[in-house]
Amino acid sequence: MAMLNSQPARSSLQVAPLAIQKTRSNGSSVADSSDPYSQSQITPPATPNGSQEDLYTQAQEHVQMEIEMANEPPVFHNFLRAFYPFQPENIVNDSTVTLPLNEGDVVLVHSIHTNGWADGTLLVNGARGWLPTNYCEAYDPDEMRSLLKALLNFWDMMRATCGNDSEMFGNQEFMKGIIAGVRYLLRTHCLTRESPLVQQYDGLRRNRKSLLSELSCLVKTARRLHDAQRMGNVEEVNEVVDEMILRAFKIVTKGVRFLDVLEEERRPLVPTIAAITAAEDNQVPPTPPAESSNFDAGYGPAADAGSRAEDDGETAERAQYAASDVARSLTPAENRLSSVCTQNTNARRLSQVGPLQIHRPSSTLSHRLSIAGPSPLAHSQNLVSEKLNACHDIFLSHLGSFIGRLHLQSQSRPSLARAVKQSATSGGQLLVVVDVVCTHNAAVIDVLEQSRAAMYDRIQELVHTARDILANATLDMEEDVIVPQDNGRLLGAATGCVKATGECVAKTKWVIERIGDFEFEFDNGSLGVNFDLSALTLVREEKDSKYCPSESASIAGSTVSETPTASTAISVTSSAPVPSVVLSIDKPLPDVPQVTSPITEQPVSHPLPSDSRPQSLPMRDRASSVVQTASYNRADLPPLPRISTASLPMDTYSPLEPSSTNGSDFRSFRSESMTASSSGSGSTYLSRHSESSILSQTSTRATTPDSTQAPRNQPSFSDLSTTETTSQAEEVDDVESRLIEKTFAHELVFNKEGQVTGGSLPALVERLTTHESTPDAMFVSTFYLTFRLFCTPTALTQALVERFDYVGESSTIAAPVRLRTYNVFKGWLESHWREETDREALDLIKEFAQVKLAAILPSAAKRLLDLAEKVSVADGALVPRFVSSMGKSGATGTHYIPAETLVPAPAMTRSQTNALTAWKAGGSCPSILDFDPLEIARQLTIKQMSLFCSILPEELLGSKWTKLAGVGAPNVKAMSAFTTGLSNLVADTILQYDEVKKRALVIKHWIKIASQCSSLHNYDALMAITCALTDTSIKRLKMTWDTVSVKRKEMLKSLQSTVDFNQNYKALRARLHDRVPPCLPFLGMFLTDLTFVDVGNPATKTSDTGLVVINFDKHTRTAKSIGELQRFQIPYRLTEVADLQEWLSSQIDRVREKDKAGANTQASHYRKSLLLEPREVQQLRTPVEPPTPAVTGSGMFAWMRSNSGTTTATQGLSAPL
Amino acid sequence: MPSRFTYQPVREYHVVVLGAGGVGKSCLTAQFVHNEWIESYDPTIEDSYRTQVTVDGRQVVLEILDTAGTDQFVAMRDLFLKSGQGFLLVFSIASRSSFDELATLREEILRIKDDDTVPIVMVGNKADLEDQRAVDRARAFGVSRSWNAPYYESSARTRTNVDEVFIDLCRQLCRREDMLEERARDDLGQKMSDEAAKKRRRRRRRKEKCVIL
Repeated sequence: MAMLNSQPARSSLQVAPLAIQKTRSNGSSVADSSDPYSQSQITPPATPNGSQEDLYTQAQEHVQMEIEMANEPPVFHNFLRAFYPFQPENIVNDSTVTLPLNEGDVVLVHSIHTNGWADGTLLVNGARGWLPTNYCEAYDPDEMRSLLKALLNFWDMMRATCGNDSEMFGNQEFMKGIIAGVRYLLRTHCLTRESPLVQQYDGLRRNRKSLLSELSCLVKTARRLHDAQRMGNVEEVNEVVDEMILRAFKIVTKGVRFLDVLEEERRPLVPTIAAITAAEDNQVPPTPPAESSNFDAGYGPAADAGSRAEDDGETAERAQYAASDVARSLTPAENRLSSVCTQNTNARRLSQVGPLQIHRPSSTLSHRLSIAGPSPLAHSQNLVSEKLNACHDIFLSHLGSFIGRLHLQSQSRPSLARAVKQSATSGGQLLVVVDVVCTHNAAVIDVLEQSRAAMYDRIQELVHTARDILANATLDMEEDVIVPQDNGRLLGAATGCVKATGECVAKTKWVIERIGDFEFEFDNGSLGVNFDLSALTLVREEKDSKYCPSESASIAGSTVSETPTASTAISVTSSAPVPSVVLSIDKPLPDVPQVTSPITEQPVSHPLPSDSRPQSLPMRDRASSVVQTASYNRADLPPLPRISTASLPMDTYSPLEPSSTNGSDFRSFRSESMTASSSGSGSTYLSRHSESSILSQTSTRATTPDSTQAPRNQPSFSDLSTTETTSQAEEVDDVESRLIEKTFAHELVFNKEGQVTGGSLPALVERLTTHESTPDAMFVSTFYLTFRLFCTPTALTQALVERFDYVGESSTIAAPVRLRTYNVFKGWLESHWREETDREALDLIKEFAQVKLAAILPSAAKRLLDLAEKVSVADGALVPRFVSSMGKSGATGTHYIPAETLVPAPAMTRSQTNALTAWKAGGSCPSILDFDPLEIARQLTIKQMSLFCSILPEELLGSKWTKLAGVGAPNVKAMSAFTTGLSNLVADTILQYDEVKKRALVIKHWIKIASQCSSLHNYDALMAITCALTDTSIKRLKMTWDTVSVKRKEMLKSLQSTVDFNQNYKALRARLHDRVPPCLPFLGMFLTDLTFVDVGNPATKTSDTGLVVINFDKHTRTAKSIGELQRFQIPYRLTEVADLQEWLSSQIDRVREKDKAGANTQASHYRKSLLLEPREVQQLRTPVEPPTPAVTGSGMFAWMRSNSGTTTATQGLSAPL
Repeated sequence: MPSRFTYQPVREYHVVVLGAGGVGKSCLTAQFVHNEWIESYDPTIEDSYRTQVTVDGRQVVLEILDTAGTDQFVAMRDLFLKSGQGFLLVFSIASRSSFDELATLREEILRIKDDDTVPIVMVGNKADLEDQRAVDRARAFGVSRSWNAPYYESSARTRTNVDEVFIDLCRQLCRREDMLEERARDDLGQKMSDEAAKKRRRRRRRKEKCVIL
């Protein structure tokens, strides 16, 4: 451990920058080449194709000054197409899978390693693994673009979302993209069967048909998914999801094939690589058929392995084991369980059934869990999840080495005994962790008990098996080797352990996620006790025999001869967990891949490529000597980045996992004992959507369709294609009719979460009137609120009418869509109508209602006409509702404070009331000091809240309040004017006194008022008052502040910190985040946010198909911000004191009036301040020369008026900033 | 100059962007802090306005304070100005009044910072609207010289001189801090007069700058 930690943390992870052109600034590439770890050159196999440069468009070196952000990101291609076949020497080893490529294969790329290997999924069979990019070219033909994009979305959605997210799956939204994609592909010439091109070319027709039939299969499967979801059959849901992904792949494959044929028919004289094969037989397109050699190759060795297993009892299991291993070669799973622990198909299913249904969505969560772990240097075994991982890893490494040994021809009893012992020890430790989790939260015992028991049984079985074998061996004492047939039994037992453990750990992890990770001090003593409980037989004798590992090895052998019960030999020392380093040094590990993968296929030695050796060096840095051996053994493999298999089924693989530290320590255990892999952390990957969080990107996508791993449980590809194509001709027609539906779905842009982030107007309107489900509320409210920013009311009306028209072509959905179209109009007129802007569309709407709508939905037409009449005369919405429904539906504060809650009585004394009455009658004006700070704060809050509540959402759109002096946003303007007025009042009340003491008193009073505002969560007033108190004019009154008590000053400081604008109002945002109304946020913060959403996001974006569409994301953000503001538009339940309100208003007005005549308020306050407490002479600054020559004033404050032409700023309102 | 080998902590400066409404100052800010390839810009997160730049080989974190949208809250301006260390005075070359307003802003800065050497960069934005130019370039340059502030003409729309103005300001801030450090060191030995001479030299050099598209 210590040794490992002392290694440079990233050494083994560093991979050299290679042939791929990385677009980086000069500075950083220099840094790269000087990196001491980057000397090893890993290159993909020699290329038929010269360079990979065409894969990566070199971004222009446009370095602006030293700013690094000027670099453009390299283009990442989501799809590659192989144009040379590639046969890797080793399809699979324990941890990395290299995909064989056929000419024309299309690959979905997940990430590209800097060395040129891409982690991708072959669409033709769903296999995932590494493939050399230099054999491929980017695949992105125009016709396919929409479909490919749809596949990406589909993949993201299916993989990243949770199986029981019925909302998403319920509306079949996810199907639309694929259908639209196919439609897009066919639309040019082949949309209908009757099109001449289709009629003319048989090959085209057949391909078209097969594509459509595939699509219909997918649609059918989707329906099944829907049903399964309703039934709540989670297991089935997962299977169906897997199947759907395969089918989607299939569709794309067929689409590619179709396009190839089409291209060829179009240009028969121009042979393309793709077309040559296609010409011979349309059914054998460049894309190899699904039933290509892979599966056969897979089953062969599996059977072999099965027959090699001697022991009858174990044959089946072993065969399965081997089979699953081979299956893995087709689809490298991203299991954390690496080679040894590959589970047979059933176990896989099992392990998924339990945790998976809930796990799928939380994969990133569990991932985070490990990331969250502290650094390895801080001894951080305390988190139970860490401990679980650690124990599991150690256990697996022991078992792995054990299984490896079994494959050596001769096996000495002592070493066997020790291996079993170590396995059992670590297994016991793992059980302890599981028990800790159980005891931590009794509720979870039920969940875990079964798998825990299974694991326990398995370990025990292993121990018993070993004991029996050892016991037998004692009969013929001269034999020091274990006979081969016993190996079979041990292997079975060990495999069982792995299986059960995997399951148990998975469940435990799930539980930890549920109950939350917790810390737990594992001391070794308690380990022993717990283990004693769980593995009675194991530990019993062990207590008295405390060997250190090396001794126990030899002694164990002799003990066995004395006591037939080998449990002594297998016993567990209660000492610290045996670090696997010790184990490794003891004996070089056998090469696990040799064991687990079909040996016959693996050429024992290849000429060592000279460049592959250095590649193992970084690994050696980190791991022990064993790894050296391991990597040398592996040197014949094409040097590859390794897909780390370091994750449990629900854990996902992330090549960029920044945590590395702790996690990779344990991972490196694995790489020692199993010659597994180092994950690629630390190296740079190109990955899809690299602009966003790469971490989450990779982790959501990194799951290979599990289905392909388990051919038995899943319909094979050939099944998928053959059986269903023939039998479902009528389905095809159904799909055809759906296809022919006119749609703009391909003009929508989605984000990862499936929200619309862009689209053309027709596409957005289509989305608004979708027939499948109720449209997303957020989308609808955003649309209503913001549509005037991206189209005119007339354009919207036209688009809606058009939608109403064209949907008529598709009979099945016409009725619901037309109804929805009507509803959109209705909602617009009822609640979102703005007469001044929308008037232009009214005639169009009326016309539509009278003619088109009346013809189909007469009563709806009548209603719409009614509304249209009313709307032009009505003042305000006919059916008022929050324009943006993100807020609460009810508009009154009674929602939050029950009506019966007592409204606090005003804190007014009789004399205060009398003073106000006298003032109103023309008497002397009371001062601010005459009133209770609490009541002042309350009345301010009431006043401000009423202004705040009257702010309409439309005032906040398009930075309206900053334009034309805020004419379009009267309420925003009123609110900010009040806030500014309040600030000025504060300054004015302080500066009106000539006596220092009096000023200090007023300051104190305002601090108290501010404090009360803070208690009322009135942050707007708090901002106004603290700003005034810290204004230079006030702040500089040193004598005055000296009189204010330290306590008050401290209070002010803390009040200030809550409304501090630094770090983008971090403190205030935190306070508002889960603040329940009533609360008055600082309006300015929202205004700044809205301004920057407006200017920071472009109005349009370019979709993947190259179409410029409306950047709906911008509007969603706007709506979200407004929704957040509306959340607080709920009045306080406080009693208004009319007289006090009046007095406050008059005071604010008074200050405002005072400065109406001349320069701005700030300046006059400063002047006043200077008069009260003049500058000390030596501080006096020489007046700065005036910028404009027209200076008429003279004297001390001449500069204040130097630009009087521009300072028309009155009321402290429109002064520029 | 500080030794190359001394440890240099990452400096952090607060830069305030000022200008009349409608001069596109927030566009300038957004352009500067916004990585172009980030598809959508979320201004509500903590480091929405923080960005790291490299100036003369040293890493500097800039926190941009832009009052965009809150121009009407005049009372807050004082607070903003107080927390700023460097200032961008932005006007639109298409608006004479926006240019004239800079003088007031500058006065306010000088008053609040109580320092007439505070780093300022003057920016004529919307340089792409040459045909609507209302502020003579020579005139703007003249004013900038009298203020001892470099003058740039920029365009947020075409992303011209956007980074440059921030970098220039940042460089001024760095030099200023270097100078202060130097002075603190020199105080031990050297005379102040040398220092002042040096300072004058440096300031003159800065003054010459006029970067036009």
